Amino acid sequence: MSASLKSKLPVALAWIIGVIAIWEIGAWSLVNIFHDPMATQKLPFLHDIVRVMAQNWASLMDSASVTVSKAALGFLYGSIAGFVIAIVMSLSRNVERVAFPYLIISQMIPILGLAPIIYNIVKDGDTARVVISAYITFFPVSINTLGGIKSVEKDRLDLMYSYAAGKFQVYRKLIIPSAMPYLMSGLKIAAPLSVTAAILVEMLGTDEGIGVKILYTLYYGAGGATMFWASVITSALLGILGYVLISLAEKLLMPWQNTTSKRGGEDA
Amino acid sequence: MNTPEIRIENVSMVYSDNGASVKALDNVSIDIQKGEFISLLGPSGCGKTTLLRIIGDLLQPTSGNVLVCDQTPRQTRMDQKYGIVFQSPVLFDWRTISKNIRLPLEIMKVPREEQNRRIESLLELVGLSKFADHYPHQLSGGMQQRVGIARALAIQPEILLMDEPFSALDEFTREKLNEDVLQIWSKTNKTVVFVTHNIAESVFMSDRVCVLSPHPGRLSAIVDIDLPRPRTKEMRDWPEFNALVAKIRNSFEGV
Amino acid sequence: MNVMKKMTLPKLLNILLPILFGILFLYVWEKNGLHYLMGLKKYQLPVPSQIAKALADNKTQLLSNARYTTAEALIGLIIGSLIGFFTAVMATVFPKWGYGGLTVLSAFNAVPIVALSPVMNNWFGMGMGSKIAVVVVTAMAAMAFNAYRGLNDLKPFSLDLMASYAATRREVFFLLRLPNSIPNILTALKISTTSSMIAAIVSEFFASYAGIGFELSNALKTAKMPLAWAYITVAAIIGIALHFIVSLVETYALKWHVSQK
Repeated sequence: MSASLKSKLPVALAWIIGVIAIWEIGAWSLVNIFHDPMATQKLPFLHDIVRVMAQNWASLMDSASVTVSKAALGFLYGSIAGFVIAIVMSLSRNVERVAFPYLIISQMIPILGLAPIIYNIVKDGDTARVVISAYITFFPVSINTLGGIKSVEKDRLDLMYSYAAGKFQVYRKLIIPSAMPYLMSGLKIAAPLSVTAAILVEMLGTDEGIGVKILYTLYYGAGGATMFWASVITSALLGILGYVLISLAEKLLMPWQNTTSKRGGEDA
Repeated sequence: MNTPEIRIENVSMVYSDNGASVKALDNVSIDIQKGEFISLLGPSGCGKTTLLRIIGDLLQPTSGNVLVCDQTPRQTRMDQKYGIVFQSPVLFDWRTISKNIRLPLEIMKVPREEQNRRIESLLELVGLSKFADHYPHQLSGGMQQRVGIARALAIQPEILLMDEPFSALDEFTREKLNEDVLQIWSKTNKTVVFVTHNIAESVFMSDRVCVLSPHPGRLSAIVDIDLPRPRTKEMRDWPEFNALVAKIRNSFEGV
Repeated sequence: MNVMKKMTLPKLLNILLPILFGILFLYVWEKNGLHYLMGLKKYQLPVPSQIAKALADNKTQLLSNARYTTAEALIGLIIGSLIGFFTAVMATVFPKWGYGGLTVLSAFNAVPIVALSPVMNNWFGMGMGSKIAVVVVTAMAAMAFNAYRGLNDLKPFSLDLMASYAATRREVFFLLRLPNSIPNILTALKISTTSSMIAAIVSEFFASYAGIGFELSNALKTAKMPLAWAYITVAAIIGIALHFIVSLVETYALKWHVSQK
């Protein structure tokens, strides 16, 4: 384990240094070789962005926490709704018949395109952020959970059947635990999407949030360019944060998945 | 003469798939006595697993009657009298070894202290006490299957149904587990229905071997195994043992 | 055997129930049921007949903007997928150094499309170019990771088999890895058709000259609700059609694959 880490570390370092170098050289060339009047908007120096991020850390975090709190609330509602509908679909063949084709179609159509329309109906920016994040979260969560419920092994169901276990017990002890990994992958898809949805609403017009920062700094042109990039990078970090948090929760909730498959001795 | 524990009368099973129908079992009748160790032996397609699943109420026969403990398989299942061991261990990955054994006890609402007591003694019985808090994927295939057996025994079932439990294991592990199962059986004295496609295994384990032939699944012979108990691994080299194996093998060639 | 006879009742219900539900839903919507349920005013949510009328009345405008957006999505999808595939190949051929490329792509992909589109506007202006660039970024990560999986998750012993034939690395790549990756490549394309349309439309919301997203936000600004819904309908139809095309390719290209059984 540590040996492979040792060989990977220089590679990772080389990549990080390489990316930083390319960024800085690119920014430098835009100014000094191409004399691009838009140079700071197109690609400001990375060290400038980092400096601006550090200087404005408090205000960036304020905006970010507004965005995250709305996105998280929507994410929570959407996940619960998605999970519940998946359970209901698995309980009722007819509900599944009605809902499943529409869930599949929802994967094919650009649902985020509806965001401005929903915002237009809801009007209130806070509600709109929650509603749209919830609605974006709902589809991947419900489809993945249902997929998990349907892929429960037949032998396991037979086992529960042979014990004459009740429906509630079968769900609690077998179906829901085995659907957990699928639920988690749905949540991992949905978490960054819910952040994107909240930012989209903010850019359509609200008072605060990281999307508002992106939009305002854009208006200041070259003057706001570094701050604009700092906001863009912060927004990317929020999406990653969502993903990482869910992955962490997965590790905590499903300890059986991360114990290395070291076999406990031979058959004796 | 006491009534048999399991009475199988003229059972037939027809699967129909896309219009084509396959006769998996054709008019099979077997009586199984209480405390008997009986094997259902045959090549794939002979319907041995189908018959086991019919006994366990996992399948309904097309025609014929099955009585278990003087009632239908369904009633016996609802009375929670079956312990089933499947081809694969069918352990729940999210439960530790001891919690896997606890599963049926939770479902049957056995008191907590009683659960703990049984789990402890069962882990000892199958020699896995050290692994109580391990997760299934940390155990080898043979150990996992022993957990499956312990789980089946946990509810102290009247009847133990074993569906090719060792077919995925290597020959060494299989022979060891054969002895282990017999030892456990001698202590608990359950009625065991054991499905296998391994002739030597069926001879080594059973009181009687029901030989099934395929297409359609028919009972072609019932062979009494009059080897003394307890069976030991030395018996595998006895001429009587090999004669029984040969007799069963020949009964297939006759079909 | 007669096809109709094979249509058992459950199978018939599978088709009929969702259709009936859809019709019922549209009917309730048409009769202002949704307005009643959600407490909406008439002007906030147009009914299906108004949307249908808007579709019919603005056919030319809808079609030309649909073409514009679809072009952005498809060009971006192709370029992005090529970049992603190339990265996956590099990561396969140079396992030690190449994998970092996948990480860089996923870092790009982490930037929300709404934040990415102003960046691309700065680079490529307000026309098609910037929208294509956003689509490229969203498409490349999906392709890179799926293709990488397909190129490297080989059946057990297949590399040993190739080694026993003394196959060169080049032969291993073209005879084993590449065919093995085709199902994953098609999966990536399926995922990307949807996300490409989303990326193109969302990028058009903020700064554009044309396209579904641009016209959609214009329609909302001028309170032409039925027209806005007409644009969304068109976007949905394109999304389904693109998916359908990839699925067709899949059926023909993957006759050997288990998923087609």
